[in-house]
Amino acid sequence: MRNRTLIPSFQRPPSRVTICRAASYEQELGTIIYESLVEFALPVKDKIVLLKPNLVGLDPLGVMNTHPAVIAATRESFLRLGASQVLIGDGPAMDRDTEAILESVRLREFVGPLARIFIDLNIDDVERVPLTTKASQLKELYMPRTVLGADLVVSMPKLKTHHWAGVTLSLKNMFGTVPGGCYGWPKNVLHWAGIDNAILDINAAVKPDFAIVDGIVGMEGNGPIQGTPKACGALIFGDDPVAVDATCCRVMGLMPERIKYLAAAGTMLGHINADKIQQLGETIAALRSKFAVIKEFSALSEAA
Amino acid sequence: MDIVPVVESASVVPELHPHNSFAESICAPLLRNAQNPDGGWGFHPGANSRVEPTCWALKALMSLPSPVNSGGDAIRRGLEFLIGAQLADGSWPSTPQEKTGCWVTSLACWVLAGDSDGEKKYSKAITSGLNWVCNDWPRDTTWWRRILRKLSSGARHSWQNDSYRGWGWTPGTSSWVEPTSFALLALETQQGAEHRSAKKRRKLGGLLLYDRMCPGGGWNCGNPEVYGVAGEPLVIPTTCALLALRKYPERQENIQSLAWLEKNFAKIQGPGSYAMAQICLAAYGRRGTEDAASTGDLQAKNEFLRNIPVAAWMTLAASNPQNWLGPGEHS
Repeated sequence: MRNRTLIPSFQRPPSRVTICRAASYEQELGTIIYESLVEFALPVKDKIVLLKPNLVGLDPLGVMNTHPAVIAATRESFLRLGASQVLIGDGPAMDRDTEAILESVRLREFVGPLARIFIDLNIDDVERVPLTTKASQLKELYMPRTVLGADLVVSMPKLKTHHWAGVTLSLKNMFGTVPGGCYGWPKNVLHWAGIDNAILDINAAVKPDFAIVDGIVGMEGNGPIQGTPKACGALIFGDDPVAVDATCCRVMGLMPERIKYLAAAGTMLGHINADKIQQLGETIAALRSKFAVIKEFSALSEAA
Repeated sequence: MDIVPVVESASVVPELHPHNSFAESICAPLLRNAQNPDGGWGFHPGANSRVEPTCWALKALMSLPSPVNSGGDAIRRGLEFLIGAQLADGSWPSTPQEKTGCWVTSLACWVLAGDSDGEKKYSKAITSGLNWVCNDWPRDTTWWRRILRKLSSGARHSWQNDSYRGWGWTPGTSSWVEPTSFALLALETQQGAEHRSAKKRRKLGGLLLYDRMCPGGGWNCGNPEVYGVAGEPLVIPTTCALLALRKYPERQENIQSLAWLEKNFAKIQGPGSYAMAQICLAAYGRRGTEDAASTGDLQAKNEFLRNIPVAAWMTLAASNPQNWLGPGEHS
């Protein structure tokens, strides 16, 4: 079982984030992902790794979910690094037919039959987790045993704007670990608790260890479902999901300090200040691609 | 908008193969073998017993003839699990550790009432469960919140009629299509001997479902429009709503939604959606198109992700829904 003790941000060493250029899903992603993971020297040998992609809904055009090519290449890379098991798990929020979503994104075509690999987190066995951060009014959540039992949890979102939270990246992606079998489709109790605060509580409880963001093609505007595809040509990796999200925002031309949950996460879960983030790979400027946001979030843009 | 009951549909339920071989050879054994020693079912074989998969497994086994469903012993033990899982306030929790009830209360009442001896044997449990359901009002549409919303100058995300009130997934939240549909299915089992507010709640719940229909027919979880953009319907919420509203087959909304479901049947990729669509179409005297995938094809892909409710829905899809669904909501 992983140690989920929180370390205040001011006590944390600088975080490391790598930005890699990846022009399309058709190119060889395995090498990019494997070599990036090697740089982080993650302790995964003989460990159970859980990949948590962002699978929000039926997506025949491949624009709203983490692309299966990225998921498959990441899975192969962790197996190559010696992980004993690399599971893929998510609990889609709006549709309880998870298998329909998996088929629509063609995940089986990329990783093979999913019965023993994919965990539908909506209906996994659960354990009670007290929420010690108390950011929201929630005192506890029942969370999937697979998430709590994995040695390494990797958040794998798509680079997207979000019409209620501003952006949905590796922290917001952890909403998908909250089981619909307990809280429904959608997990409305989290909205009542306040999306921003619930994001903090969930991430403090699950404490994802690593993040890989699919920014090859992201989504701008009225995301996370009805937005417009936005090519960005980037894969972003890091050992601190807060720092990864802050970097993603900068790539998107948004200011992380102005995103409520991210600013709060920067005080308790990780780093958002650029001087606390060791930037590897490509520079932010090299891949910066200004993402449009809905007018309610126009103040997030760097130009604002 | 008002719900006007129509005369019983003249459509004829097609002759279904009573217990097709897939349900009997694959799904029924899976369900029987997955029953836990405590009588309940988990969401997967070997998983801890939970109320929802137990309800669906029971409903499926009840739809099978006695020789196939193990002579009723599995059903009896499952029903006992449900009775034991009920909380003191009459509700059922989603997971045994949880001390607060939720939407599965409707499912539990519906299943208990569907047992041939259930109405007498479990009447106390059903009554207290339905009382809890009737007292479980959504929080987003209290009079106080409605006034605040009217006074608010901020932009609204959607244009839903706040006077219609259904049920949420968990207490103290908003109304959604599926829990509202399940509550209507549960409440229709007790007409004539019901909670004082049941009739009003059934009416408001039905109106809410019609109000939340997506433009052009069909339902998603309950967001027909967000920021002026129409939401896309989904199969499972559409089938749940249509089953709950099956007494009104001639209403334009039902016709439109049924047309959407029929049009999209052949495109269904998930076995859960496929089974629920078959159940729903059969309840309206229709059948899925021939060019759809077969149950065997769907099972071969990912073994249904070893999902007990999906196996149960597949079993139910192989039986005549009128045998286990009941005649429908009476206003």
